[in-house]
Amino acid sequence: MSAGDARSDRDSDDSEAILRTDGLLKEFGNFAAIDDVSIAVEPGEFRSVIGPNGAGKTTLFNLISGALPVTEGTVTFQGEDITNLPPEQRIRRGMARSFQISNIFGGLTVRENVRLAAQALHREEYGLREALFRPTDRYDGINEDTDRILDRIGLAGVAEETAASLPYGDKRRLEIGVVLATEPELVLFDEPTAGMGPEETQNTIDLIEEVLVDQTLILVEHDIELVMDLSDRITVLHRGEVLSEGTPEEIAEDEAVRDAYLGGMT
Amino acid sequence: MVIGIQQLLDGLTVGMGYALIAAGLSVIFGVMYVINFAHGELYALGAYFALSVSAPIGGGAGFYVALLVAPLLVGVVGVAIERFTVRPLYDRNPLYHILLTFGLVLLINDLIIIGWGPQPQRLSRPDLISGTFEVAGATFSRYAFFIMLFGGGVTLAVWAALTYTRYGLIVRAGAQDRRMVRNLGIDIDRYYSLVFGVGAALAALAGVVLAGRSGVATGMGSDIIITAFVIVVLGGLGSFKGAVLGGLGLGVLQESIIRPGIPELNWLLVPRIFPQLEGMIIFVLMIIVLLVRPQGLFGSEFEEESGELLVGTDGGVLAPDLRYKLGLGMIGLLAVFPVLSGTLLPSSLVEGLLIRILYWGLFALALDFVMGYTGLVSLGHALFWGLGAYVSATILMNLTESAFVAAFVAVLVGAAVAWVVGYLSIRVHGVYFAMITLAFAELFHNSLTRIDRWAVGFCETTPVCSPEDLQGVQITGGSEGLFGISQYYGIGGVGVRLDEIGVFLGFFLTRRILNSPFGAVLKGIRENEERVRFLGYDPTVYKRRAFTISGAFATMAGVLFTLNSVGVSPAAADWFKSGEVIVIVILGGLGTLFGPIVGAFAFFGLEHLIQDNLLGPLQALFTVVLEPLGQEGLVPDFSSRWRLALGALFVLFVIYLPRGLISVPEKLAGYLPWEVSFGEPVGEDERGENR
Repeated sequence: MSAGDARSDRDSDDSEAILRTDGLLKEFGNFAAIDDVSIAVEPGEFRSVIGPNGAGKTTLFNLISGALPVTEGTVTFQGEDITNLPPEQRIRRGMARSFQISNIFGGLTVRENVRLAAQALHREEYGLREALFRPTDRYDGINEDTDRILDRIGLAGVAEETAASLPYGDKRRLEIGVVLATEPELVLFDEPTAGMGPEETQNTIDLIEEVLVDQTLILVEHDIELVMDLSDRITVLHRGEVLSEGTPEEIAEDEAVRDAYLGGMT
Repeated sequence: MVIGIQQLLDGLTVGMGYALIAAGLSVIFGVMYVINFAHGELYALGAYFALSVSAPIGGGAGFYVALLVAPLLVGVVGVAIERFTVRPLYDRNPLYHILLTFGLVLLINDLIIIGWGPQPQRLSRPDLISGTFEVAGATFSRYAFFIMLFGGGVTLAVWAALTYTRYGLIVRAGAQDRRMVRNLGIDIDRYYSLVFGVGAALAALAGVVLAGRSGVATGMGSDIIITAFVIVVLGGLGSFKGAVLGGLGLGVLQESIIRPGIPELNWLLVPRIFPQLEGMIIFVLMIIVLLVRPQGLFGSEFEEESGELLVGTDGGVLAPDLRYKLGLGMIGLLAVFPVLSGTLLPSSLVEGLLIRILYWGLFALALDFVMGYTGLVSLGHALFWGLGAYVSATILMNLTESAFVAAFVAVLVGAAVAWVVGYLSIRVHGVYFAMITLAFAELFHNSLTRIDRWAVGFCETTPVCSPEDLQGVQITGGSEGLFGISQYYGIGGVGVRLDEIGVFLGFFLTRRILNSPFGAVLKGIRENEERVRFLGYDPTVYKRRAFTISGAFATMAGVLFTLNSVGVSPAAADWFKSGEVIVIVILGGLGTLFGPIVGAFAFFGLEHLIQDNLLGPLQALFTVVLEPLGQEGLVPDFSSRWRLALGALFVLFVIYLPRGLISVPEKLAGYLPWEVSFGEPVGEDERGENR
């Protein structure tokens, strides 16, 4: 009970949290994939959610981003209850998410991928007639944004290649670019380095740190070492519940985390 | 009593026939995800085989032998169809099954006409099950009881086989997850042949018993296939039990409630309305079921499989600039042809063929806009064609003679209807979307027969607004027209036709739209709908808009059809038209702008070629050779059976050239002496994985 009390104490302190979940529950049949998860993320925070496979990390993301309906509990984003909003409405309010499996538009070029994302931002600026008939390359604002992002993710040189033809690491970079192009307040990253070698992993992490330094980030990762240096706070999920939460130092010293995590990994 | 015994009996009799057809159709879909449009033709084939088998034996014995032999023969045909045509397509998008089975419809139907002649025939049945008998003062048909007992026995046997045998278990498991079954070391492909064969045999059985009731006709297959689809949807796609109960239920509903009306509900004016709405009710029912409970009464939902219907073939075959030039060349060529009319080309060819290619090209382009670019497979685009044809005809006959006003109003109406249909339909996915659009089109098709009647007051001659009425109307628009422009008008001495303007506009507007931000979202949806959603776009809204635009263009095609024909009939909205236009799009190349126009060229060019330059001379050759031998009766008249050749061609096409005619240059590229740049074809891998 003491952990729960501590959490509610902190909740009352940071009422300006950009994202909060309160008593989040997700059941598949009788199985609770997420059980009473309450987290609060402050603006500008780098939060990592870690846990062994099957801990419910991706499910938590799906609940926050609206990909799955919530069984019980609420999700609050920038002070607004978004529990029942469809994904696209949450995105329009300043959320963005990447997927565990590369989720880009394979048949479109790299530029088209980024432009489609940048275009979402400018949606309100043009009337229906323009949106229907004016060629995409004649929207200056969108094109500037697109070029800027292509430069930042280092894919300007391959902008006219189809996304499907990129090597794996570049696809993940493109995905980060697509996320970045929507200028989100909060980014949900689902294992952005999954399947990468050590060097690529480091490059990607550097890229995330570099380009998304101003945003609030929530990163799902199962490699605990990777997030230790980066995170402001870490939430440890275990069997759908919050096992522990704190600064990287606190987590590193937590016996329960060490037992559960290592136990779960082996 | 609300429902008379006699009517209930009639309903159950017809319903048993429905059940037999729908059961096979549903199981074939459930197990192999094949939307088998040829199922109706297999049913007809059963009836015709029965005709041939029973005639030489004669009398009662002939019928019983036919009852056994005809389904067996059709079962063998079914196995052959599965083995040689369906099997190469299993790892492809189910859209290709529609094209394939539609080709088979053309093929089998023409074979039937060649083999047995076009006139309706009677299948004689044994005395034992003919006539009537009396129970408690009421008269009953023996044959009705025979159908119910026999059909009931067969369906029970099939059900038992599916439920209790090892074969049935494997088939049911395969319907759940075929990859899993394959991983267990079971060769599921062998079972597919069996399922297809049994499904075909069941359809044939229905053909025999219903032929004994109401005779044999060449159109019986295409008459029943839509009803069969309604039943399959009502009962639940893939559900055997649902198909049987749905068939019986629909039979009873039709024969004992809708047709006779219900006297107790007189005060609601129901009996007067019901016969009017007969035929429409089942489609309303189908739409409601699809909206409220898409998995039907007994089906289980299979969300993932429906995703397979998303289009896999896309426009990445040719480089953009090459595509653009080809498209321009195509349009330019079309524009030049009518000018040459009467000089270099015979005017009849231009009027008859090229104009038809023009408006069909527009129709196909409209369909491609939703099918190729957003992955919505519409089986009901004939709705908009029919709408365009009828609205414009009504305006031309009653209000104004300006073709421009008629076209303008019709397109507005078409867009509005498309918005409503899209609003309701786009909430369901994949095959359910195909089915609900089919239902809307058939609903309209059915109501057209009544519209023809209420149009009586206007055209004053025949019950149907027929050729004479429209011919009487001078479609000029001319000086009387609102814009002072006639259908034919001159710019610098060169005649330009509304047809060309329509197709030009269609082509350039779609091109423009696809290059716009809106088009970018559509392409995104085609590639990855989930990701589009997670960029903040609502895919439903974009699909609905695309559907509306598509509906407007398709309506314009229907208007052009009216302007170039002497009359309109309900056939304008026949499901067959929806099938033909899908064929044209895929023939040319899905997801490209000029593909549909190439497809229209190929479709009608082939029709023209096969009919005039191939079959005619071939028939003449046979006559020349056989006449001296006194065997001129040996070869039946096939000179007008071009659809046979066309159908066969589609079957070959879908198997060997699925990316359409536009992929031919790419295939030939290796042999060309000069270099051609092609874009990178994509999507192949992803499609393979979905198997």
